[in-house]
Amino acid sequence: MVVIDIETEDGQREALRRMLTIRAFDTKAGDLFADGELPGFVHLYVGEEAVGVGACSALEADDYITSTHRGHGHCIAKGLDPKKMMSELYGKADGYCNGKGGSMHIADVDAGMLGANGIVGAGPPLATGAALTAQLKGEDKVALAFFGDGAVAQGQVHEAINIAATWDLPAVFVVENNQYGEGTPVEKQHNVQNLSETAEAYNIPGFTVDGMDITAVYEAVKEARNRAADGQGPTLIEAETYRYHGHFEGDQQPYRTEEDIDIWKDRDAIESFKQRLVDAGTITEDEFDEMKAEIDEQIETAVEEAKSAPYPDPSEAYEDMFNATVPEISQFSSQMRADGGEDR
Amino acid sequence: MTTTVGLVVNPAAGRDIRRLTGGASVSNNYAKRRTAGCVLAGLTLVEDVDVLVMPDSSGLADRIVDDAPSDLDVGFVDMPVSASGRDSRNAAAHFEQHADAVVVLGGDGTTRDVAQTIGDVPVVSISTGTNNVVPTPIDGTVAGAAAGLVATGAIPADEATIRHGTIEVDVEKATGATSIRGLATVGVLDRAFVGTRAILDPEDIVGGVVSRASPAEIGLSGLAGGLVTHRPDEPGGVGFRLAREGATGTRVHGITVPGTLSEVRVADYQVLDDEEPYTFEVPRGVVSVDGEREHEVQDGLVTLRPVSDGPRLVQIESVLERAAHEGYFRA
Amino acid sequence: MSTETTSGTGPADTQEMTFREAIRLALREEMERDEDVFIMGEDVGKFGGVYEVTGDLVEQFGEARVRDTPISEAGFMGAGVGAAATGSRPIVEIMFSDFIGVCSEQIINQMAKNRYMFGGKTEMPITVRTTEGGGSGAASQHSGTLHTWFAHFPGVMAVAPGTPESAKGLLKSAIRSDDPVIFFENKEIYGQTGEVPLDENYTLPIGEANVEREGEDVTVVATQRMVGESLELAEELDGQVSVEVIDPRSLYPLDTDTLVESVKKTGRLVIADESPLSYGTHAEIGMRVMENAFFSLDAPIQRVGVADVHIPFSPVLEDEVLPHASDVEAAINRIV
Ligand SMILES: Cc1ncc(C[n+]2csc(CCOP(=O)(O)OP(=O)(O)O)c2C)c(N)n1
Ligand SMILES: [Mg+2]
Repeated sequence: MVVIDIETEDGQREALRRMLTIRAFDTKAGDLFADGELPGFVHLYVGEEAVGVGACSALEADDYITSTHRGHGHCIAKGLDPKKMMSELYGKADGYCNGKGGSMHIADVDAGMLGANGIVGAGPPLATGAALTAQLKGEDKVALAFFGDGAVAQGQVHEAINIAATWDLPAVFVVENNQYGEGTPVEKQHNVQNLSETAEAYNIPGFTVDGMDITAVYEAVKEARNRAADGQGPTLIEAETYRYHGHFEGDQQPYRTEEDIDIWKDRDAIESFKQRLVDAGTITEDEFDEMKAEIDEQIETAVEEAKSAPYPDPSEAYEDMFNATVPEISQFSSQMRADGGEDR
Repeated sequence: MTTTVGLVVNPAAGRDIRRLTGGASVSNNYAKRRTAGCVLAGLTLVEDVDVLVMPDSSGLADRIVDDAPSDLDVGFVDMPVSASGRDSRNAAAHFEQHADAVVVLGGDGTTRDVAQTIGDVPVVSISTGTNNVVPTPIDGTVAGAAAGLVATGAIPADEATIRHGTIEVDVEKATGATSIRGLATVGVLDRAFVGTRAILDPEDIVGGVVSRASPAEIGLSGLAGGLVTHRPDEPGGVGFRLAREGATGTRVHGITVPGTLSEVRVADYQVLDDEEPYTFEVPRGVVSVDGEREHEVQDGLVTLRPVSDGPRLVQIESVLERAAHEGYFRA
Repeated sequence: MSTETTSGTGPADTQEMTFREAIRLALREEMERDEDVFIMGEDVGKFGGVYEVTGDLVEQFGEARVRDTPISEAGFMGAGVGAAATGSRPIVEIMFSDFIGVCSEQIINQMAKNRYMFGGKTEMPITVRTTEGGGSGAASQHSGTLHTWFAHFPGVMAVAPGTPESAKGLLKSAIRSDDPVIFFENKEIYGQTGEVPLDENYTLPIGEANVEREGEDVTVVATQRMVGESLELAEELDGQVSVEVIDPRSLYPLDTDTLVESVKKTGRLVIADESPLSYGTHAEIGMRVMENAFFSLDAPIQRVGVADVHIPFSPVLEDEVLPHASDVEAAINRIV
C-alpha cells in the first residue's frame, strides 16, 4: 500500500483521488447490480468515503484492517486494486479471491486487509487477534477494525474491545455510524446516543468525530494509532456518517425519506474536501475534473477487463478447503459431478 | 403570571478527541440527563415556572421531559431538529422572545451558540464537561434554583448578571470574506485543517484575542491570563502573539489543554480597547473559536476585535447569597 | 383459488400462494389465535424481513409483537429462551442460518437442555425460523445448509419443509408445540407456489413424511429445494423410470416408517439434501433404511448433496457445488 500523508498537498490530492475512486467504483457496482450483471448482493460505501480513506491514511503500510459487508471502500482506502476487486465482484478467476469470495469477502492479507466480512461484528475479534500478534512479536504494527453502528450491539464486539483494552493491544476500533443497521435507525438499537460512550466501560478513550470530514477522521485515527503503537492500548472512535444508497442495492428504504438523505448530502465529504483544496489552491477545478475523468476511465476499464476475464474452472470449487488432501472431497466431488458419476 | 425558563442541553457536548489527547473525560448522556433533572428540581424553589426544553434527535430531551418533577409544567420548543449547533441557536432565538431565563448545559461552544441569538435574556451556563471557560461546573439543583430566582424577578436580573464580552473575527481571503464570532477566545493556529476541531498541540498556537484572561482558566484565556488579568465583563480584551521559531519572547507557562502544562514564548501582547483590532497575516492556518478549530485560512488577513455585546450571564453564587440574605431560604 | 367445496371458506378450501406467503399466513393465523405468540428478529418489523417473509405483520400486530431487535443474536435468542420459559410463545428469526453460530450457546445449552436438566419442570415453546441454501450468489457466509447440526443435537426438533403447504402446516405445529423447533426455510424456494389449505386449524404433525409422488422403481428422499426439482425430474423420467418422491419434512423427529415402507417397495434409494455429505442428514436417512430394510435394498444407497465444501461466490463455482435435478438423475442412473 502507498501510504498517504494528508499533511502534504500531494497526500491531500491522493486522498481526494481515493475517495473519488471509491465513489466511482461503488456507483458503478450499483449500476451493474441493477443491470443484473453482478451475482449476490452488494452493499455500497457511497457517502462514507471520508471514514475509510481518512482512517487508512493515518495508518502505516504494514498495519492491518478488518472490514465489514460494506467493504469496497476499505479495500480501496487500503490501496487494493479496483481491477482485481471488480473481477471478484464478477466472480472471475483473476479476482482477489479467485471468484470464491465475492463482494462481501474481498481480502488481501499481504496488503494488511484481513477481509470484508459477512458476519456483523466478526471483524473486531480478528483485529484484536492481529494486534495480539503484533504485541507478541514486538512488531510496530497496529490493527484497525472498521465496524458499523449495528455491530456495536454484538456481544463479540464487546468481547474484542475488552480483551484489547485489558491487554493494551495496539488496536484502533472505528465505529462507522451511518445511522442505520439495515432498516433500523441507530436510536432503536442503542440506549446511548454516542457509540463512543461505551469506551468508558473498557477504561479506554472514546470520542466521536465528524465522519464527513476526512481531516477529522485522519487526525483522530492518527492520534489513536500513536497511542496504540506506544503500547497504551486501543481507542474507540465513532465516526458519524451516512450511506446514500440503500442497505443493499434494491432496498426500498421505507425507513427514511429523500429529505433525510439530502441533509447529509449537503455535507458531502468529497465535495467539501474538494472545495477546501480548491480554496487553498491545492487543486484547480480543471485538475479535479481531470482526476475524475481518469478515475471513471479506470473503473470502466476494470469493468471491461472483469467482464472479459475467464470464470474459474468449475473444479476449483473443490480446491482450498484444507491445506492437506482430504479424500472425502475428491471422492464426493467426483461422485457429484455428473460425468464423474457415469464413470463409476 | 407564569414565568418561562428555557433549557438547552447539548447532546453532542463533551465527547470530542480531548478524551484521547487532553485528559478530559466523557460527559455521557446519562450524566447530562441527571444534571438536567437536578436543574428542574432546583426550579421548584420558585413557583409558577414553565419550562421549555430544546428537542434533539438523541432522545435525551425526551427523557428529561419524561422524568420531570410532576409539579413543573415541562414541554418542548416547537422547532425542527437538525442535530447540529443550529438547534441551540434556533432554540435560543425562540427563548429570546418567550423566556425569562435560560439554562444551558454544554461547553463553551454551546454557550456561544446560545449567545448568538439569546439577546438580553439571562443565561445560566453549566459545564457538562471539562475544559470549559465560560460555563460553571456546578450542581444542577443549585443552578436551577438560581435560574428560577432570576427568571421570576425575585432577584433582579440587572443586579445578578454580568455582560460577557465577545470577539468579532473578520477573515479576508482572495476567495472572499468571512465573519465569525467567538465568546471567550479566538486563536490563530498553524494547522492545515479543521480536523477534529480541538486544539491538540500548543506548538500550533500563533496567537489570538481573548475577551477574558485569568491564569485560573484553561486554554488561550489562561495563557493570556499568565500575562494580565481581564475580567469577562470588562470592555476590551487581550491580544497576543507567540514567538515563532528562532525569535525571542517572554517565556510563559500556560495550561493549554487539560493535563498539559506548556511553556510558550510570547512575542507581543496588548490589552485591547473595545473594538480595537488585532490582526494576523495567515499564509496557511486555522482560526479557532472557544477552543475549537473552526475555519481554514489560506493567504488571508485575520482581524480580531473585542466587543462588549455578549450574553448576560447569571452569577449563580451572588444570586443565591442575595436570596438567602433576603430570607428566601427560610421556610 | 381452487375450491374443493362449493362455497365459502370451508375447511377444504385452498389457495395458490408462494412458500413465503404460506409462512406469513401461518404466522398471522397463529398470532391471531394466541396472544402469547410474538416474533422477534432483525428488521422483521417495518422492513418486513430481508426475504419479505414477515411483510406487513407489524401493521396488524404492532411493534411489540413484531419486534425489531438490535443485531445481537446471542442476546435475543437468549431472550427468546427466557420468554419461552416464562409463558410466552416466541418466534425468533435468525436471518441466515449461517449466523446461528453467533447464538449457538443459547440453543445448545439453554433451549435444548432446560427441560431435561430441570427434570421436565419447564416447557420451551419456542420456534426459531431461519434461512438456508445457496443459489443466489450470496457466498459462503450466507448460503449454508446447517440443519444437520440441529437434527443431530438432542433437545431440539428440526423441520425443513419443501412445499408451501407443508410450510404452513408445519410452522403452525411448530408454534403450537411446547418444544423448541428450529424451522429451516430454503430461500431459493420462497417464490415457489402451491395450493395451501386456508383452514385456520390446518396443521401437519411434526415427524411425518409425505409421499409427494408415488413410484415403483426408485425412492428419492428429497428435502427443501430438492423436493420440487425431484418432482420435475420424476415427471421427465416418467415412462422410463418410475420415481417415488418423499419429502421427510421433519428431519428430527424423522418418519422412518414411511421411508422404509417405500424402499421395501422400490428397493432403491437416492437421498437428495443440500447439506454437506459427511456425517450428515444423508447418512442418517440411509442408516435408518439399512437398519429396517437392508434385505429389500437392490442397489447401494446414493447420496446427493454438497461435497464437503462451502458455497462459493462465483456463479460457475456455486452452480458446480450445489445439488440439482441432474445430480439426482445421475444418481438414479447409477442404480436403476
Ligand atoms: C451476525 C449477523 N447478523 C445479521 C446479519 C445481517 N446483516 C447484514 S448487514 C446488517 C446491518 C449492519 O448494520 P451496521 O453494523 O450498522 O453496518 P452498515 O450496514 O450500516 O454499514 C445486518 C443486520 C449479518 N450479516 N450477520
Ligand atoms: Mg450502520
